[in-house]
Amino acid sequence: MMVPVRCFTCGKVVGEHWEEFKERSREGDENPKQVLDELGVERACCRRMLVSHKDLVDIVAPYQ
Amino acid sequence: MSEEYDVEFIERGDTEARFLVRDVDPAFANGIRRAMVADVPTLSIDEVRVVENSSVMFDEQIAHRLGMVPLTTPPNEFDEEDVVTLAVDIAGPATAYSGDIVSSDGLVEPATDGIPLIELKEGQRLEVEADAVLDTGDSHAKHQGGVAVGYRHLQRVEVVGDRGEFEDDEPRIVRGVIEEDGELIPAETFDNDLTNRYAGKEIEVHDVPNAFVFDVETDGSMSVDELVSEAVRTIRSRADELETAIQL
Repeated sequence: MMVPVRCFTCGKVVGEHWEEFKERSREGDENPKQVLDELGVERACCRRMLVSHKDLVDIVAPYQ
Repeated sequence: MSEEYDVEFIERGDTEARFLVRDVDPAFANGIRRAMVADVPTLSIDEVRVVENSSVMFDEQIAHRLGMVPLTTPPNEFDEEDVVTLAVDIAGPATAYSGDIVSSDGLVEPATDGIPLIELKEGQRLEVEADAVLDTGDSHAKHQGGVAVGYRHLQRVEVVGDRGEFEDDEPRIVRGVIEEDGELIPAETFDNDLTNRYAGKEIEVHDVPNAFVFDVETDGSMSVDELVSEAVRTIRSRADELETAIQL
């Protein structure tokens, strides 16, 4: 639904990078690998948190 | 093990650092690592009173997200029983961020402001009051100050001869930090491959006894310096406790 605040595995705070990551690599056309490197999300465990995330608030909102 | 040990920084930042410690045994190095992860107390939201939550998430989910937000915890300012009250009050359409958390204590604030807590649509509102408590990483991961803390032996590379002219050029991968004539070289500088640095040489890699390179990263609740000294303090206080407990 919303991006996880921390990485499940190591506990690094990854939520703060989501909006920039989304804007640059999902909506923009930058290479996700490079964006993650620039954001300082280095470990594979933290990277998968952002790479595999999907915002669902807009999808769920009509069914309140 | 000697009474004093030598600490040398390789990289030093506020929330990330890499340093070399000499003259400690592996048990002590691991003791510090474990203390950094599990025994340094940090503040985290533990109880949430929901006044209004008309967002798309359940109260419990919101409470969990609030709990994961790191809060700045100055060492030695708080006791185990202390409670710090925080509040969030945001009406949609807007996104509630960790920066919207209002604290009753100037010392305790969200370590980062940009974590999205919940996206609110038109007519939705989130109003909560929360209590932050001091606890350690072994009771819940949200109280864990050190993130992915680890250590590695310092390594020394020895050139034992030349490589045969027709031998295969296989990469020789090494991680961490190597020592060369007293100089410390992070392996990333030669792309973790020793053949880049010692081309055409036959090499042997040895661990330097009792020298450990620590990689420490914090969640932002305190600086690396504070985290390491707090970890040592918790070990010392438990050692003192043990000493008094077994005294006759």
